[in-house]
Amino acid sequence: MRLPALTLNQKLALVAVVLGALALFSVPHRGPVVTLDTRELAQIVEQEVDHVTPSELAGWIVQGRSDYRLVDLRAESDFAAYHIPTAENVTVAALPEFPFQRTEKIVLYSDGGIHAAQAWMLLQAQGYRAVYTVLGGLEGWKDDVLYPVLPAQASGAERARFERAVALSRFFGGEPRAENEVVAPTPAELPKLAAPVPAGAVSPVAPRKKKKEGC
Amino acid sequence: MAPFYKYGFFGDEMSLVLAFVLGTGFGFFLERAGFGSARKLAAQFYLYDMSVFKVMFTAIVTAMLGVTYLGWLGWLDLSLVYLVPTHLVPQIVGGLVLGVGFVVGGYCPGTSVASLATGRVDGFVYAFGIGAGTLVYAEVFPWIKGFVNSSEMGQVTLPEVFDLPWGLLVFAVVVIAVAGFSAATLIERRSGEKS
Amino acid sequence: MAAPIILEVNDVSSDHRPAVMPGSGRPASPYWNPYLAGLGLGLVLLAAFVLVGRGLGASGAFSSTVAWLVHLVAPAHAQSNEYLQGYLGDGTTHPLKAWLVFEVLGVMAGALFSGLLAGRARIMVEKGPRVSTAVRLLCAFAGGILMAFGAHLARGCTSGQALTGGALLNLGSWAFMLMVFVGGYSVAWFMSWQWR
Repeated sequence: MRLPALTLNQKLALVAVVLGALALFSVPHRGPVVTLDTRELAQIVEQEVDHVTPSELAGWIVQGRSDYRLVDLRAESDFAAYHIPTAENVTVAALPEFPFQRTEKIVLYSDGGIHAAQAWMLLQAQGYRAVYTVLGGLEGWKDDVLYPVLPAQASGAERARFERAVALSRFFGGEPRAENEVVAPTPAELPKLAAPVPAGAVSPVAPRKKKKEGC
Repeated sequence: MAPFYKYGFFGDEMSLVLAFVLGTGFGFFLERAGFGSARKLAAQFYLYDMSVFKVMFTAIVTAMLGVTYLGWLGWLDLSLVYLVPTHLVPQIVGGLVLGVGFVVGGYCPGTSVASLATGRVDGFVYAFGIGAGTLVYAEVFPWIKGFVNSSEMGQVTLPEVFDLPWGLLVFAVVVIAVAGFSAATLIERRSGEKS
Repeated sequence: MAAPIILEVNDVSSDHRPAVMPGSGRPASPYWNPYLAGLGLGLVLLAAFVLVGRGLGASGAFSSTVAWLVHLVAPAHAQSNEYLQGYLGDGTTHPLKAWLVFEVLGVMAGALFSGLLAGRARIMVEKGPRVSTAVRLLCAFAGGILMAFGAHLARGCTSGQALTGGALLNLGSWAFMLMVFVGGYSVAWFMSWQWR
């Protein structure tokens, strides 16, 4: 069977229609359905390279680093009551749609660590690679940064560490104390948000460079 | 993973260099198609030369198939490609006004640039007109702001609106385009015979 | 108007280019097959998507340029104008250091290159046989003003909205594209004196 000779235009049209027909089977681009590399993720979890300790985070804030985005996953009212300085409020529900840059460091925290861990999984599934959780969440922040406790029988090294923690704690408006002090349990009142944030640090809602991408 | 810029492969400076390079390709093919000439462009609306339709839709189909297949292969993250948010009514009105401007002036912004680059004085004057019009627009903007920002629908695609699969819309566009090309060629021949 | 730039428009070719370029006497090369040109254009657009994650455009460059010029002449006014302020940005980058401005400069370069290659680059006025140069230029200017309004209302022009948005199946872009053809065809008859 000999096909009639096709002009260039007809050949182009044929190619287009074939490709178009094939496209009928294409899957939606980046819908809410994602694929996970379970082995890779399990590795990352086990190596625990995805944590940031509260003290480390405190150090970043003090240094005024702006290469990370701190995300508070709690409800708006909790966020308004107190949040770690430089944090942004994004609930877990809003997380998949939130326009993170692919290349920026995302640090997550919630009250404890459960929501943060779950959110971490969500973002990893979407392909973000630089995602971290704050070890211990907000509770960890309170215990390690705001209200560090000096153990009763502290060694020299531990005392030295405590001194540094004291400085950090005061910076964030917390209250360091020694273990054997008779003191009320962790204050119900968290420091007021007017707590000093170092000049030059990223403001709570970091000013993202809004570039026009339209025509 | 693409878009490369969004994945941090290169920075803003390089992006601007690429803008120039891509623009060069854009201008080159516009002129190749003859769109540096107002007469060729306007001919679209007199039915004896449907090149505008042919070039435009071929380009659309090409790029559309491209993103579909690259997205399907998982090489391109389409959600990171910027989609201009829809403001339905202003865009409809804008389209009408633009169409009128097209026939009155003979160009659109992109082709006017291509045209003035090849020495067309009318293209140059047209570009000036766009500048003047932009100034007027900016001045009256406070009064028309409400209208300009009306019927905001966010970033929405045809598949989302019609609740149909992306692939189906792609196929539909290809079929419509190819059918359109045949029809256009027929119309050209008919108008040619008449005039 | 000066004689040298008036084009004698009794062109012979079916695709409306002068059969012989005035002055050079050299035959202008025929335009490309529209489908091939469209293919090339589509690939450039695709490259933009893949490399930079955005499409092409043109009208935005005009806005940036106008904003910059106004800012040069009357900075306070430019900053207080909401539309222009959007293109001036927060002062950290020069308004002309915009993606579209660089892209449009590229368009000029590319078009010139193609035109020179094809012998189609020539200082001339494109117009129909029945209209004078002066009137044509007036219409061009008026058309430009209309185009500015259309493009800014629509958030783009045929390059940005129709091509870019069309390929991405953007709802607003397709609606826009349809209306461009509607608008054009509606007034074509009334403007035929300019082109035919």
